[in-house]
Amino acid sequence: MILEELAFAVLAATAVLTAVAALLVRELVHTILWIAIFFVDLSALYFLLEAPFLGVLQLGVYAGAVTVLLLFGIMTTRKRIFSREAATGIGPIPFGLAVVTFIFLVAAIAEFPQGQVAVTSYDPAALSAVLFSTYGPWLLELGVVMLTAVGGAIYLVREGRE
Amino acid sequence: MTALPEIGFVALSAALLAVGVFGMLTRRNFILLLISIEIAMNAAILNFVYFAAFSSGADGLVGQAIAVVLVGFAATEVAVGLGIVLVLNRVKGSINVANATELKL
Repeated sequence: MILEELAFAVLAATAVLTAVAALLVRELVHTILWIAIFFVDLSALYFLLEAPFLGVLQLGVYAGAVTVLLLFGIMTTRKRIFSREAATGIGPIPFGLAVVTFIFLVAAIAEFPQGQVAVTSYDPAALSAVLFSTYGPWLLELGVVMLTAVGGAIYLVREGRE
Repeated sequence: MTALPEIGFVALSAALLAVGVFGMLTRRNFILLLISIEIAMNAAILNFVYFAAFSSGADGLVGQAIAVVLVGFAATEVAVGLGIVLVLNRVKGSINVANATELKL
């Protein structure tokens, strides 16, 4: 029990630190490296929550595909991959708004019951059975949205368009 | 069976959402903006998985099913976002969102 709490504390601290580091470093490629660590860290949290299917999905989709897509985005839009981002000052208003968001959320969290709760583990086979029966329309909708998005993205980037 | 602090995951989600909001408000680079949105979206997905893990019976599977669909939507959003990045770079010569002003009122 102590080991799991320790693992959660380390993973949570890593998640917040890597997310902040990803937004604060000047080199865009370093941003991608930090965000990759963030995605892997979240995947470990899902495994800790006994959601192995989502953990693997997070590794494949986020740490794999999204990271590589973002890297391609940088490679195709920069002359040199390792080029520093122009420094953008962090104004007091955005910083204040982020702090206010966090304070409001913490105040809401304080209403939660304190203590420890046992994590229920689910069989991935049961999840897939539910996904392809009860929630099948959601997956169909996701497929339609993805198809539309692919069409839209190809239309956006096709050659010879002003 | 794992036992975890109840409040920890919600606090983590709140912190990640705050980091995402901070990034969305301060960054001008489109790719950093996309990453900020991804961080905020991951906070939401973490919440779904968290509440799924702490509910009993079939309710937990609903949360995980929503999380699976949300991961798909987030990946789609990145694909479209990168299409916009490429067009912005071609038309404006940079991916600074401060330059993309033509649709502003």
